[in-house]
Amino acid sequence: MTNIPLNQITTSGCQIRPGLRAATPIIFAAVILMSSTVTARPNAGLPEWRPESSEKLVKLPATYLKKSIDSDFADSKLGLAIEENQEKSRLKLQSLKDLKMAVRDADGEVKTEIRHHLLAEKRSFIYIMSNKNEMRRKQLVTKLRLFERMLKKLGESDAQMTKSRKKLVDKQETAKKRFHASLSTVDVRLFENDAIPESKYSQKYAKNMTAIGKLVSRIGSHRMNSSINADGHLLTKEEYIRGLLAETQSEISILEQEETILGYMAKLVALDALVLSEEALDAVLINSDLPVNNSPAEAADFFLSN
Amino acid sequence: MTITNRINFRKLTTAASLGVLVCAVSITDSNAGTLENLERERALVIESILNPELKPEERAEEIERAKPRLVDLERIVLRDPKMKGRNTPTVRRAFENYDLTFMLHAATERNLSITDNWLSQIGITTQSVMSAPIRRRSGE
Repeated sequence: MTNIPLNQITTSGCQIRPGLRAATPIIFAAVILMSSTVTARPNAGLPEWRPESSEKLVKLPATYLKKSIDSDFADSKLGLAIEENQEKSRLKLQSLKDLKMAVRDADGEVKTEIRHHLLAEKRSFIYIMSNKNEMRRKQLVTKLRLFERMLKKLGESDAQMTKSRKKLVDKQETAKKRFHASLSTVDVRLFENDAIPESKYSQKYAKNMTAIGKLVSRIGSHRMNSSINADGHLLTKEEYIRGLLAETQSEISILEQEETILGYMAKLVALDALVLSEEALDAVLINSDLPVNNSPAEAADFFLSN
Repeated sequence: MTITNRINFRKLTTAASLGVLVCAVSITDSNAGTLENLERERALVIESILNPELKPEERAEEIERAKPRLVDLERIVLRDPKMKGRNTPTVRRAFENYDLTFMLHAATERNLSITDNWLSQIGITTQSVMSAPIRRRSGE
């Protein structure tokens, strides 16, 4: 920085002002550059969504499952925050459109001001979208883990089927079949001639079984108990949840792609800021009175003679 | 209320709560399984079968008295949904041999007495008894 005497500061104040005016766009561009980088916010600061326990959800019919999860999310803090963010981004987008039109119609310094404002709004839009993506990622990861837990719960009965347990279950099934096959014969032989009176347990059991049969039949034909149909193929609950899991995984991949888009947008905003600062510098340089550099050689003659 | 009374009241309520807790635990503990109840009844029937001090008619009478209880208990075990896959040694052993565990149903199905069916399941038949060689036990 050149040393300007104090008396020159007040008489030629424009000597300081060019420096300041030159620095302003650079400072502005630096601020845009620094804040335009899309940084990942730590998850800890985001609102929460704790879905219902997987034990409860696994018991729900497949048709109701997705709706229940979506409804639970919509009522959570995370869901409400995403909705709020969605509204903000919509308004910001409208603001960008309006500023874009204003830039087209403006002129001179006003145009430059509006362009500055547009850049700031673009930066703000990127920040909102980045924040929304972070929340969406949290939602999708939570959903993914939920589906994984549900599949684990559904598969638990198979996973625990050790060799000895399977052998036992087979024997129990065989015993049951033999029992049911011989039941009528045994009843006739035991209870004929009132040799053994029919116990209260037998009487009540028969009565309850009739009621159970009717209820089971009604459950089977209930609308909410119907299986999900996919291209004419009836899906089991496990297949349906696996489908939902794959869907969630693909949404996460799309989200990562959207983050790339935001990254490129941020880079463009930074480059636009540089352009703006360059233009501002040019304007400053044209109008500035730069100090003339006097060479000592010009005063050499004065030193040749005394 | 004086301090002594307050302390006594607190001790009383603590004792009462502990008592209720112990009762609740005891009730839970004493609820034996359906299979255990059947095994108990089955053991009594086998004891009657093997009791040398009983006369034949007394033996038959005891077995007849056990039949109504046995038929219900066997059916309760066979119909118990909690039994499925319960991989304990007792359950595994019970379902290893239907005829030995569900004595009454197996015997009735084969149109045999409980005694005859049980003895044949453990390998004691008229033929095996009659064909058993008479000889000295080793070591004597």
